[in-house]
Amino acid sequence: MHRQSTIARFTDVTKRFGKNVAVGRLHLDIAQGEFVTLLGPSGCGKSTTLRMLGGFETPDEGRILLAGEDVTRLPPNRRDVNMVFQDYALFPHMTVAGNIAFGLELQGHGRGAIDARVSELLELVQLGSFRDRMPDQLSGGQRQRVALARALAREPKLLLLDEPLGALDAKLRGQVQIELKALQQRTGKTFLFVTHDQEEALTMSDRIIVMNAGRIEQDGTPEELYHQPRSRFVADFIGETNLFACQVRGSEDGLAVLDWNGILLRAAGSPDGRTSVEAALRPESIRLSTERPDQANALRMRIARRVFKGSRIDLDLEAQDGDVRLKASADPAAIEALTGDTVWASWDPARLAILQA
Amino acid sequence: MMRPSQIALTTFYWAFIVYLFLPLALMVVMGFKDSNFIGFPINAWTTRWYVQVFQDTAVLQAFGYTLLISIASTALSLVIGTWCAVFLGPARFWGRALVFAVMCLPAVIPGVISAISMRIFIRAIGLDPGTGAIILGLTIHNVPFVALMVLSRLGAIPRSQVEAARDLGADSLVAFLRVTLPFLFPSLLGASIFCMLLSFDDFVRAFFLGGYQPTLPVLIFAELRSGMSPAINAISTVVLVVTAALGLWAERGTRRLKGTRS
Repeated sequence: MHRQSTIARFTDVTKRFGKNVAVGRLHLDIAQGEFVTLLGPSGCGKSTTLRMLGGFETPDEGRILLAGEDVTRLPPNRRDVNMVFQDYALFPHMTVAGNIAFGLELQGHGRGAIDARVSELLELVQLGSFRDRMPDQLSGGQRQRVALARALAREPKLLLLDEPLGALDAKLRGQVQIELKALQQRTGKTFLFVTHDQEEALTMSDRIIVMNAGRIEQDGTPEELYHQPRSRFVADFIGETNLFACQVRGSEDGLAVLDWNGILLRAAGSPDGRTSVEAALRPESIRLSTERPDQANALRMRIARRVFKGSRIDLDLEAQDGDVRLKASADPAAIEALTGDTVWASWDPARLAILQA
Repeated sequence: MMRPSQIALTTFYWAFIVYLFLPLALMVVMGFKDSNFIGFPINAWTTRWYVQVFQDTAVLQAFGYTLLISIASTALSLVIGTWCAVFLGPARFWGRALVFAVMCLPAVIPGVISAISMRIFIRAIGLDPGTGAIILGLTIHNVPFVALMVLSRLGAIPRSQVEAARDLGADSLVAFLRVTLPFLFPSLLGASIFCMLLSFDDFVRAFFLGGYQPTLPVLIFAELRSGMSPAINAISTVVLVVTAALGLWAERGTRRLKGTRS
């Protein structure tokens, strides 16, 4: 497999608003054809990063390259990227077709070429019959698709999406996530997506960059982030998690041996010479069984509480003396197979992630 | 059952309405009285005053002249006022409040003062009283109203609108012309109607800055001094109906535009 080419690169980019550092010394490469998500809480610098690439903010330090060209100080109209705005920013005085044609007209195409391209884009977002509608005659989901078509019209090297699903209701959002990902794969475009919704990020991304306080906390695939969070912040921000404050006891068979309140646990990662570490475990990584499993990490625990969530059941587990607690999550069939309230909770050492920070 | 405070409020409201409309109603009625004297009793009705007004070339000329001056000053005010608003709107600099206050000043300076000072000024720069001077005087008075109306609308435009235009390849001028300006349209329409009404109705500036050709308010004033003819009531009624209709239409129109466009 050949190495993918870099389409956008941030080199040592810093942006301040007054004394507040919005983005600090950011290094980031985005490869051609990737769906990259910037994920983080509000104020973490994800939108500022996106806006710097769009040309709406100018970095105080560092450089931004787009397809090898330095665009750090170029205005938005001279960059080959387009943006889907959070509020869609459709022009209210233009029809759907007028909105989509706007960028094409400024490129100086002829009327016929523009009309053909507009039709093609309307087909792409399945709005063929909405050509002459005004934006205020569309539903939220339809407006979002017009914004997408408008941003794709100029064949940008990179599509920027600033929380474009935030205004949609939960059910529609799930559907649009799938559509958006399918569209990205069909067009082969590079998408840089910003969201604070971890589920959205996990659903759509090839790669997620978790940001916090203007810095990158972790950069990896959704699976890596979910099962191997590098920091407590990432573990906490994405999904539910069990955190273990442990003393390091050594290593055995290539696994780290950790002491958690007197219970010895084994983890696949390395404590890097530290004597105390934190480890994270996802609730659904915990297997429950009536018989003692053949697993390095196995604890005899009592089910203290069950919360029915429909497709899953969330459980609070307590060790028999009551001062060790775990959150587990299992599908109802797995719970039904258990006999009694006292069960074995076990997990693969590879699922117990030793946090780096 | 209405409480006493409600009864009092309702009474005051209707008293105000009567006070507001009775003089106007009297004027309209007198315009149809078949007599050379204004006053009661009315023994006969006629429309001859209207016929007379529409055949009076002096009146028609004054009307056309006033319309021309109003349109010219409105157009000038729109350009300058919008420019001021766009300049001041997003700007954050030391002394912005002062610049803003200076810009609003012409709206609150008494008409007589500003007209006299303008008269001295045009003489100083070698301009004769007349059409140009009136237009200038009216424009200075109109600009603050345009600027304030445009500013308030400018504050309502989402930042992403202009950003989207820039993103799609528009430079700042194209973005202004194709996105900001259409967004401002309701306030520009409202401002132009308001300027038209202010200018058409203006007496003080037209009187102090005018040359030999009278505007309609100046002509009416001159006719009043030479003896009150019921024809004045006819002219006034026409002006009243036209301006009221225009004002109401503009008010309704801009409200509807703002409703659908924001």
